[in-house]
Amino acid sequence: MTTRIIGLGNSILTDDGVGIHAVREVQRRLEACPGADVEIVETEVGGFSLMELLTGCKKVILIDCIQFEGLIPGTVVHINPGDLRTSLRLRSVHDIDLPTVLELGSRLGLPMPEEISVIGIQAENALTFGESLTDAAERGMKKAVNHVLDMIRDPSSEMRH
Amino acid sequence: MYKVDPPPAAKKLRELYNSAAFVHSHIAHFYALAAPDFVLGPDSDPAKRNILGVVEKVGIPVAGEVLKHRAIAQDIQITVGGRSTHPVWTLPGGVSKGITEEQRQEIIEKAKSCVEFSKFSLKLFEDVVLKNKAYLDLVLSDAYEMDCYWIGTVDEKNCVNFYHGDHRVVDQKGKEVFRYKDHEYLDYISERVEKYSYLKFPYLKKIGWKGFVDGPDSGVYMATPLSRLNAADGMATPLAQEEYEKMYSTLGGKPVKKLLATHWARLIELLYSAERMLELARDPEVASPNIRTLPTATPEEGVGIVEAMRGILTHHYQTDKNGLVTKANLIVGTTNNNAPISMSIKRAAQKLIQPGKEVGQGLLNMVEMAFRLYDPCFSCATHSLPGEMPLIIDVINANGDVIHREGRLDHRS
Repeated sequence: MTTRIIGLGNSILTDDGVGIHAVREVQRRLEACPGADVEIVETEVGGFSLMELLTGCKKVILIDCIQFEGLIPGTVVHINPGDLRTSLRLRSVHDIDLPTVLELGSRLGLPMPEEISVIGIQAENALTFGESLTDAAERGMKKAVNHVLDMIRDPSSEMRH
Repeated sequence: MYKVDPPPAAKKLRELYNSAAFVHSHIAHFYALAAPDFVLGPDSDPAKRNILGVVEKVGIPVAGEVLKHRAIAQDIQITVGGRSTHPVWTLPGGVSKGITEEQRQEIIEKAKSCVEFSKFSLKLFEDVVLKNKAYLDLVLSDAYEMDCYWIGTVDEKNCVNFYHGDHRVVDQKGKEVFRYKDHEYLDYISERVEKYSYLKFPYLKKIGWKGFVDGPDSGVYMATPLSRLNAADGMATPLAQEEYEKMYSTLGGKPVKKLLATHWARLIELLYSAERMLELARDPEVASPNIRTLPTATPEEGVGIVEAMRGILTHHYQTDKNGLVTKANLIVGTTNNNAPISMSIKRAAQKLIQPGKEVGQGLLNMVEMAFRLYDPCFSCATHSLPGEMPLIIDVINANGDVIHREGRLDHRS
């Protein structure tokens, strides 16, 4: 397997599930052009369990909801895991965070991916129960999907703004 | 709700699934979140005070065992319930699929391995924490204590049970004061609302809400691994019982009010869960094909209570005649502890921040330890990156001016 695209989130918590919605859309659009060596995964897990999902493929694209201060809802950001690594001292109160997952997997000699991209979509509402996205997150989701498809077709592609 | 009693095999499979959840959750909490404070020290370099630092100290093979047993417990859940989170096989009256005899044998071997790993974890705790006077003093420190009521589910012998039994409340002296069945919970538990939080503050109804204070006149109760052990007379499995006795003899009897002992209690529960998985898997009935009693009654209302990793978990539903939920009330593990968490942080801050003592990253972490010991599930409330928590201590003078700020600022801001 060359590329695994992982949608993270809780699909019954409005925009929190935007990653799940995004990978479903990626899957739907990829079905129209078969042949891509891509695996789609939907998951609600993080931490240790995420580490197991990251192993065994060359490239991983994670799509998740973000809640960064100052960002307009629906904004899509391409986060380099190296940027998250600058916050290595920070920990989740409940499980290990993504930079720690990557570092731990590598120290344990697990077959971690050579390349990881994190696509974040700014949420408008990630606290209310609901199976639909807000309009802003829906727009962000579509933009993120286009970006991910570009990345699959041309790994050197930059995000279009 | 459906007025139906699932067959024994279905109940055993559900308990097996829940026990496996305890195993991987307690492993993750201890090694990823608690161990860094003890293996590396609470005031060690924050950049290294994490599981990577623990791995460096205890070695790669131990880290491999941690991951292996987390995965084993999750594999058992997948075998039993289809998925390790959000299982897809529970139905009114039972479960949708059983396990084969071959799967039962595999689970036996996996459970045996989890028992051995749990014993190893308790030995590690003994070597690293209990044999280190500074850490033992920390566990016994009055910065981390609470004189509240304790709640937990017990079997007919008053031993800890995670799946079924009465819900028992003991007081500040360890004496049973209340005992209720699932459907009676509203007679015993009330939920207070504070304007500043959407998370409610449950308390003991018959004692009453007296504010964020402990003591016998306040209805504040705690629901944690330590609470479950305090509320019971023992453990239902032999190895866990030995460890239970050891903890109480070391810490001076029941109830233990020193909250950092919650980590010790969590490891005793880890051993209990692993032993219970093994007991259930060794029972041939768990592979019985008789896994569901078809419900025939019209659903109306029901209450279900089990123990979850962070505390007692209450679900209460009312439905229409088609079984569609019209009203629901959930009191989940961490919610029970909402008041104790606030009180613990305040107490730790008041005891640890003293005149002339530097307020630095070490102290910040020691205050956070009062929060982290609950293994709170707030970070799961939303699943957004980066999933971290900002933490700030402001030292304020008599005029209310901030004279020093020590923070672990959220890098999002």
